[in-house]
Amino acid sequence: MRVLELKNISMHFAVARDHENGRHRVFDGLNLVVSHGEKVGLIGRNGSGKSTLLRIMAGIYPPDVGSVWRHPEMSIALLSLGLGFKNDLTGRENVFLAAMLQGLSRRSARNTLNKIGEFTELGDYYDEPVKSYSSGMRARLGFATGLLLDTDILLLDEILAVGDHAFRQKASEALREKVLTDRTVIMVHHDDVAIRDTCTRAIWLNGRGVERDGDVDGVLSAYAENR
Amino acid sequence: MARLALKAEARRFYLSYFWWVLEPLLYVMVFWLVFDKLLGTPTPDFLMFLAVGKLTFTWFSKTVSTAAGSLVNNVGLIGRMDMPKTLFPMAAILECSYKQIAVFILLGLFVILDGRPISVQWGWLLPLAVVQLLLIITCGFMAALLVCLSQDFAPLINLGMIFLMFMSGVFWDPNELANIQSMDLLMLVNPVAFLLNGYRQVLLWQVQPDLHHLMGLGLVLSLTIALLAVFMQRYSRHIARRILSK
Repeated sequence: MRVLELKNISMHFAVARDHENGRHRVFDGLNLVVSHGEKVGLIGRNGSGKSTLLRIMAGIYPPDVGSVWRHPEMSIALLSLGLGFKNDLTGRENVFLAAMLQGLSRRSARNTLNKIGEFTELGDYYDEPVKSYSSGMRARLGFATGLLLDTDILLLDEILAVGDHAFRQKASEALREKVLTDRTVIMVHHDDVAIRDTCTRAIWLNGRGVERDGDVDGVLSAYAENR
Repeated sequence: MARLALKAEARRFYLSYFWWVLEPLLYVMVFWLVFDKLLGTPTPDFLMFLAVGKLTFTWFSKTVSTAAGSLVNNVGLIGRMDMPKTLFPMAAILECSYKQIAVFILLGLFVILDGRPISVQWGWLLPLAVVQLLLIITCGFMAALLVCLSQDFAPLINLGMIFLMFMSGVFWDPNELANIQSMDLLMLVNPVAFLLNGYRQVLLWQVQPDLHHLMGLGLVLSLTIALLAVFMQRYSRHIARRILSK
């Protein structure tokens, strides 16, 4: 069953006029279909459009050309680190806000607060303003918030890249648990190991569209040769 | 979102929620010292005149300025979720408007302590406040969209608030304009001046405000808000792209 379909996607961003004639193109006629339960890893150099593609998939902004179809009954969430927190609010308040914005009822949002607090291992810091957090603590909060709110399609943008080693391991395990379920996961990661551990399919983006799409080992090997 | 923001703001300051009324009161005191004690304004009963004008004008100016930055300041949330873009200016407007409830209570106490009776005219305060809220929502949505278009609008909006303060009779009485047509024109083109005059009519002079004008204004503002909300809904993702591409 298809859950996401991107047809003929083209996209550009305005950049300084003395650079690429003022238009940086990231996609030119990209086509992509993602099926239910697939675990897809997106790879490519910086500026190849990985995060942009996740945002288009999440419906945060539209492409210049082309169409995006999402399964109407599937919820979708984009998790990225360092974004979306309000610095003056405590960790607990930020989680509550994220849960409410995700569409949870007030009661369900309250119920998830302690579960997420425990997972983050922030202790008393959970009730301190986020501006007092280290980057690792923010990473834990971001990861836990995203992962423990139930969504059908998870878009992960480098969320395993930060935090201390122990938490990264815990996060990877938690992610694998989610991955074993029938959720669809599309993740961006610079680390081949994380992609190999988690994904069943890899897509290499080259700055215009898809360079290669297929089984993880094949795509990662081709990408490594090209680097 | 508004309530969480209020809690967070209160945590930041030692005087916490007390700032909600302290800040506007300090503004009134500063203006009173300059215009009454230093310059010797001819307006009778100037302190109460100023308090009504300034405390209601500050609600407008501060809220619109806060709403102006509400979209660009929430780039993190906008980059993570597709959500209605009216949510952000509305949260800013609600945040400031909760505080204004405390200011209105304080203003009412001032008027009573000044020896003025609570008259039936006070009933007009609610429609006046509702129309002012509609005006704030209209201007807040527009300001947020303009700042999203270009951050250059942010200082211009702040400058516009100072211009409006001078043009709305915060510390001078539009009723004393020599030409009655000038007064009518001011009330027509500047809804802030009309509303401030309305609050003074009710609280200080026990006079009913111009209801036709108030209703007409409320209707025009409601329609404008509906159009702006439809625009923001329709172009929600384009707004997000504009903010995230900066």
